[in-house]
Amino acid sequence: MANIILDELGFAYPGAPEPTLLPLSVEIKDSEAFALLGASGAGKTTLLNLLSGLLVPTTGRILFDGVDVSTRSGSQRNLAQVFQFPVLYESLTIADNLAFPLRARKAVNGFSAADIQSRVAKIAGELGIENLLKRKPKTLSLFQKQLVAIGRALMRPDVSVVLLDEPLTAVEPRTKWVLRQSLKRLQQELGVTMIYVTHDQTEALTFADRVAVMADGKILHTASPQEVYERPAHEFVGYFIGSPGMNFVAIDVAASTQMYTGNGVHESAQRLGFRPEWARLENASRQHTSSAVHWPGRVTHCQILGTQGGAPVGITAVLCDVGELKVRGPINAAAGSDVVVVVDRFVSFCDEQYLATHYTHSSSPDDLDDSANAGEE
Amino acid sequence: MALNKPYNNRAWLGVLPVLLIVSFSAVIPLMTVVNYSVQDILDFNSRFYVGLDWYRETLQDPRFIEAFGRQVLFSLSVLAIEIPLGILVARGLPKSGAWTSFLLILLAVPLLIPWNVVGTIWQIYARSDIGLLGVGLNELGLAFNYTSNPTHAWLTLIAMDVWHWTSLVALLAFAGLTSVPPAYYQAAELDGASKWQVFRYVEMPRLGGVLVIAVLLRLMDSFMIYTEPFVLTGGGPGNATTFLSQYLATMAVGQFDLGPAAAFSVIYFLFILLFCWIFYNSVMVDDAVDDAVDDAVEDAVEYVADDNEVQHHD
Repeated sequence: MANIILDELGFAYPGAPEPTLLPLSVEIKDSEAFALLGASGAGKTTLLNLLSGLLVPTTGRILFDGVDVSTRSGSQRNLAQVFQFPVLYESLTIADNLAFPLRARKAVNGFSAADIQSRVAKIAGELGIENLLKRKPKTLSLFQKQLVAIGRALMRPDVSVVLLDEPLTAVEPRTKWVLRQSLKRLQQELGVTMIYVTHDQTEALTFADRVAVMADGKILHTASPQEVYERPAHEFVGYFIGSPGMNFVAIDVAASTQMYTGNGVHESAQRLGFRPEWARLENASRQHTSSAVHWPGRVTHCQILGTQGGAPVGITAVLCDVGELKVRGPINAAAGSDVVVVVDRFVSFCDEQYLATHYTHSSSPDDLDDSANAGEE
Repeated sequence: MALNKPYNNRAWLGVLPVLLIVSFSAVIPLMTVVNYSVQDILDFNSRFYVGLDWYRETLQDPRFIEAFGRQVLFSLSVLAIEIPLGILVARGLPKSGAWTSFLLILLAVPLLIPWNVVGTIWQIYARSDIGLLGVGLNELGLAFNYTSNPTHAWLTLIAMDVWHWTSLVALLAFAGLTSVPPAYYQAAELDGASKWQVFRYVEMPRLGGVLVIAVLLRLMDSFMIYTEPFVLTGGGPGNATTFLSQYLATMAVGQFDLGPAAAFSVIYFLFILLFCWIFYNSVMVDDAVDDAVDDAVEDAVEYVADDNEVQHHD
C-alpha cells in the first residue's frame, strides 16, 4: 500500500503530432479507492500503462511513497493488475494461481509455504471461492475466473497499488454488481490502494472515494463522486456524468439580465448548467417573477423510468428557445403540451470552467410537482 | 446439456464417396500388401501360403534390427534438436513489424525445396573436396569426410534434417506464441515471474497443442525418411546410415523379395502407428496440452456455461 503522486506526468508516442497525455498532477492517497473515468481515447489506458510500467513517461515523475519509480519495470514497482478479461495461468489450479505472486517473490518477501497457504485461504475466503481452489481455470465461468484474477491481485499484503482495467467488461451485466460489491468490500477491509479505470460512470461513482474525469489527455476534475456530480469543474464533466447529463444554457445577458443577476450570477459567466432533477415543470399559464430562472417550451417526448407512489416518473424533454432541456420528475405533461421549465438550482461556467452554484428563490405553493425533487436531494 | 437433434440415418449415404476414395487410395493397397506378406511369391503363377513366416523372419533379421535401431536413434536425435530449437527460434522472432514477415518467409524457404534437392545441396555442401562446409572444416584442421567416416555421415544427416525441418517447428510454435494475449505477459511480469516461469506457465500451456502436432509430424516424417539420406550417403559408409525405408526399397525393388518386403512394410507401418499412438496418449493425459487442444471448443460453449453458472449464483 502506498501513497502515489503523479507529478507533471505526461506522455507522447514518438513521432506523434500531439501528446497522448498532457502533463498532469494528482495525488492518490494510501488505501484510497480512486477511479479514472473517461470515454475511450481520453488517455486513461495510457495513464494506466504509465502506472504499470508498460510505458515510460516522456515528462514528469511517478512517486510511490515518495520514491521515484518512473523508470522502474512493472515487477519492481510491486503492483498488481486486474485486466478486462480474466488472466489466469491455465495449467495451474486456482490455489496455485493465487499463490503464484507470493511464490514468485519468495526470495524477496521470505514467505514460507505455510504463510502462503494461509494467505490463499484468507483471500479465497474473502471472495467466497474456497470450493474452487482445487479446480483448473478452464472449468470456471468467466465470472468465477475474474473473481480469481481479483484474488490474485490482492494476494501480496505489501502490494503498493492494485490497478483495475475495466475489470467488469467481460462479466455479465447481472453479475457485475456482485463483483463490484466484493471489490469495494475487499478494498475497504484490506485497505488496498486501488486505481479503477473505466468508461462506466456508475462503476466509477459507486466504487471510488474520489474520481478523476479524463478527456483529451487531461484530467478535468478530481473530487468525490458527489462533488463531481454536483459541482463539475468543467462543462464536459457535467455533460459526461449523469444520465442524461447536465442541461446547458448559454447566458444571454441582454435578453434577461434580471433572471441572472437576480440570482447572483457573475457577469463573466457564459453558460449555466443544471441537472435534470434540479428543475421542474409548471403550467404554462403561471406567472413568474422576472428573477425566476425559467423558460417556456413544449414537451417533445417523455421517458418513463419507474413509478413513485403509483405515478410515473422519468425524464421529460422540453424544447425551449434556448434548446432542448431535460427534466427529471413526475411525468404529468403529455408530448405537445406547453409548459414552463423552472430551475431551482444551477451552476454557472466561464470558459467551460466552474464558477459558482446558485439556488433560486422561485418556489411557489402551487407547484405542479412538489415531490419531484424529494427523492434526489 | 441435452440437445434434441433429429436423427436421420440417410446421412450415412453422404459418407459413401469418402469411403470409396479411402478404400481405393489406402485400404485396398494396404490389404494387397498384407496379402503378399503371408505368401511366398516365386513368380506370377506359383505362390504358396506361408502364414506368419515372413514376419518372424523379418523380426529376427539382424539387418532389420540394426536398421530399426538406427531409425529410432535418428528420429530421437532430430526431435531432440528440432523441437527445442524451433521453440527457441519462434521465441526469438519479433511478434509484429516489418521484420516478422521477412523472417517468416526466410524460415519457410527450406520447406519449399524438394527433398532430393535438399539431399543434393548437402551432398555438395559437405563434400570434403569442393563443398563449402567440408573444405571449411578441413581447413580448420578437422579431418571431415562423410563418405568414409560413419560419425561424420550421421552428423551431416542430422544437420541436414535440422536445417530442413526446424523451420516447420518454429513456424508452428510461432503460431502458438502469437495466440498468447499480451495481458498474460504483463500479468506474469507484475506477479514477478521469472523468464523460465513465463515460458513454463504462460507460453507452454498455449504451445501444447501445436507442439503435439509438431512432434507427431516430425516423428512420422523422420521415421519414414528416405530421399535425403539416399541422395546424400546412399546408406553408407557401409550400412551406417541405412534406415528402414532404404532397406525396404532394396528388398522390394532391388531384390524383388515381395513376400518379406510386404511383411516388412506392415511391421514398419504398425511401428509408426504404435509410436504415434503411444506419444499421443501419453501427452494427452496432461491437462495443459488437453487445454490447448480443447480451447476452441471450450470458447464456443463458454457463454452457454456462463449462463448456467449465473443462474446458480442467483
